[in-house]
Amino acid sequence: MVFNSYTFIVFFILILILHNLPLGWKTKKVNLLLASYLFYAAWNPPFILLLWLSTVVDYFVGRALYRQENKHKKRFLLVISLIGNLGMLCFFKYGTFLLDNFVHLVNAIGFDYHPAKPNIILPAGISFYTFTTLCYTIDMYKKKSEPVKSMLDFSLFVTFFPHLVAGPIVRPPQLVPQFESPRKATQQQLSQGLLLLSLGLFMKVVLADSMLSGSANTVFNAHGPMQSLDAWMGVLAFSGQIFFDFAGYSTCAIGVALCLGFVLPHNFLFPYASIGFSDFWRRWHITLSAWLRDYLYIPLGGNRNGKVRTYMNLMITMLLGGLWHGASWTFVVWGALHGFYLWVEKIIVDIRKDKVQPIALTPSAEVGVLGPPPEFLKKEKPQQLRTGLVYFFPDQCNLGIFQGPGFPFSVGYAQCHVWRCGTCRSDADNPGND
Amino acid sequence: MHQPQWGKACVFALVIIVLSVSAWEIWLRNHHNPLSYDDGKELWADKRAMVYEPQDKATVFIGSSRNKYDLDLTIWTKLTGDHPIQLAMEGSNPLPVLDDLAKDQKFKGKLIIDVTEGLFFSLAPGNKGGPQERIEYYHKRTPAQKFSFLVNRELESRLVFLDKESYSLNAMLDKLHVPNRKGVFQMPIFPREFGIVTFDRQNYMTPEFVADSNEHKKVTAIWEFFRSLNTDPPLSGPPLDSLMKTIQDDVKKIQDRGGKVLFVRTPSSGPFWMGEQMGFPRAKYWDRLLALTGCPGIHFADYPAVASFVCPEWSHLKPADAVTWTINLVDILQKEKGWVFPGKTVAQ
Repeated sequence: MVFNSYTFIVFFILILILHNLPLGWKTKKVNLLLASYLFYAAWNPPFILLLWLSTVVDYFVGRALYRQENKHKKRFLLVISLIGNLGMLCFFKYGTFLLDNFVHLVNAIGFDYHPAKPNIILPAGISFYTFTTLCYTIDMYKKKSEPVKSMLDFSLFVTFFPHLVAGPIVRPPQLVPQFESPRKATQQQLSQGLLLLSLGLFMKVVLADSMLSGSANTVFNAHGPMQSLDAWMGVLAFSGQIFFDFAGYSTCAIGVALCLGFVLPHNFLFPYASIGFSDFWRRWHITLSAWLRDYLYIPLGGNRNGKVRTYMNLMITMLLGGLWHGASWTFVVWGALHGFYLWVEKIIVDIRKDKVQPIALTPSAEVGVLGPPPEFLKKEKPQQLRTGLVYFFPDQCNLGIFQGPGFPFSVGYAQCHVWRCGTCRSDADNPGND
Repeated sequence: MHQPQWGKACVFALVIIVLSVSAWEIWLRNHHNPLSYDDGKELWADKRAMVYEPQDKATVFIGSSRNKYDLDLTIWTKLTGDHPIQLAMEGSNPLPVLDDLAKDQKFKGKLIIDVTEGLFFSLAPGNKGGPQERIEYYHKRTPAQKFSFLVNRELESRLVFLDKESYSLNAMLDKLHVPNRKGVFQMPIFPREFGIVTFDRQNYMTPEFVADSNEHKKVTAIWEFFRSLNTDPPLSGPPLDSLMKTIQDDVKKIQDRGGKVLFVRTPSSGPFWMGEQMGFPRAKYWDRLLALTGCPGIHFADYPAVASFVCPEWSHLKPADAVTWTINLVDILQKEKGWVFPGKTVAQ
């Protein structure tokens, strides 16, 4: 279920009552665990088996990893965990994408291969809970933290419903200790939690879904050309929509957890007020950025092996970060663009040897560059070109300075002003509207 | 450091919300706004799930808006003892729904298909978008969505302001009629009184709408607007042959499983009816459809008792005429088409 549904409101009221009854702490934790499974099963009951599998495998492999001293056996255990977690993720999230690419490849080299289209359902939140369990086993491998003492606490850490399907991505030390001693929200925490939940719902339901999505969808689904003003409105609306949608949902998660007495990490910190791209990624989906930094960028070598490797590591991290957001080449290109932006920023910083903020971008430029690419890149090529022209250049009616080969044709086409309406959604791992 | 009074702030906010929402609800009721359900994919999916009821106890209706306005579901149930399951959708082509039912091996019931030629004999993707979205939603509906629907039903049955089509923020903003820049396309907005929706998905016009010729003109202007958008000639030649073949195949699938299919041409009047006769000559479309599928059909123009309705806005019956149409439809079905309604005696 999702936070912005009647089902969740009923569910949450019952959980709040149950959690505040005079019951033992272990009973309360069992209640929370069962509630979390119910929360997940309300989307598609069979997929709860995946969650169990992931939990059980990582609990036992994690303990074994921590205790194992033999280097080879330790690596073997880590490989088991990685195959288990990433294998599931690859199959469910990237299975169709990989097969499509394989088919294109073999057809391109002359084989006539056309398999049936697989009907793979993407389990809600698999990207989130896979990263949650992965960081546990990697931490165990590196002995960065102690193994979780009880299966109940570990299951609750993985499954705890506020963060289960859309983050924030939590690390074991952030949440597991909170399960070890009785917790109940104080009156202040409850009030603040409800406030955050209301604020999050307002951001998601009113601002993102009601006020901004219509404009964004109209522009990004337009079949004809448009004026630059309209293109900019669409881009800004989409930038607002993705922020309010995602940050609103994260705010709900933090608020819900707080109502129960648990503290989840912040996930957004005024990202559109950031100065530069690296600053942006420190403020946008913070828990994912931190995960990619700690479990991908740094293990790849980070900035420790010279400039060339640093740039490569940055690009690899952003490419995989892009692919995490969605199984299509548009997301890979989106990741590559961000890798490129970070390169440019880093080059400037390296040249200037600045210790202060690298590039001061205007908010409009920033949201323009950061917001639209995944949607923008989904469009047909001529449409991309037209959208690009009207998006990046001022209205051609007043300026002729940007006119180059082929541009007059696009200008003429853009003057037709034919609009059509439609709907679209950005790719997401969450369960959609229910 | 001073701690904010969170508890008091919450209570204060709650009081303001309850007061404002109550005031809004009271104002709407005092201005004679009847309850109207959100006729979205959730309500449609709820009805779609009912099509598996036994053939002798239920009839499924698909089609466009005329089926929703013209069929009085209460009268139908009273006369037949049968459960009418309304799956028709405004402004849409019913063929995706027919195809969905044809593919569904569990569906073996009675099916009445409303034919509004301009929408039915059309390949325009825009006419199929709504049905396809609802069909997809029905097949992917989660347990949480089903439960949310039940809760929503209880709330929507009691609160007028929850009518999303008329009183959501976006709907209210649209109604401000802020002039658009030249060339910007905007979908026209129907008067609320034109289409009140019941929980069974029957549409009806309010008495205020029926009595107000200015409101009729607003709607006829919208029909004129849609007509001006559609510059394509009526479907003919190989595309029409292909469409007919698809319908024939789908109907056969249902019949082969023991299902019953009947086509119905619901009334229209005035310029609408004239235009439909010119654009879609009966021999080329309606007669051919019946001949090809071998299904029985009921065309309103063939029955004097229902041939001369005057639709307020040329296309849909007012509630009183919908009762007459339904009574006659049931009569024709029983006497002429041989349909039997075993539940009839129980109901009467």
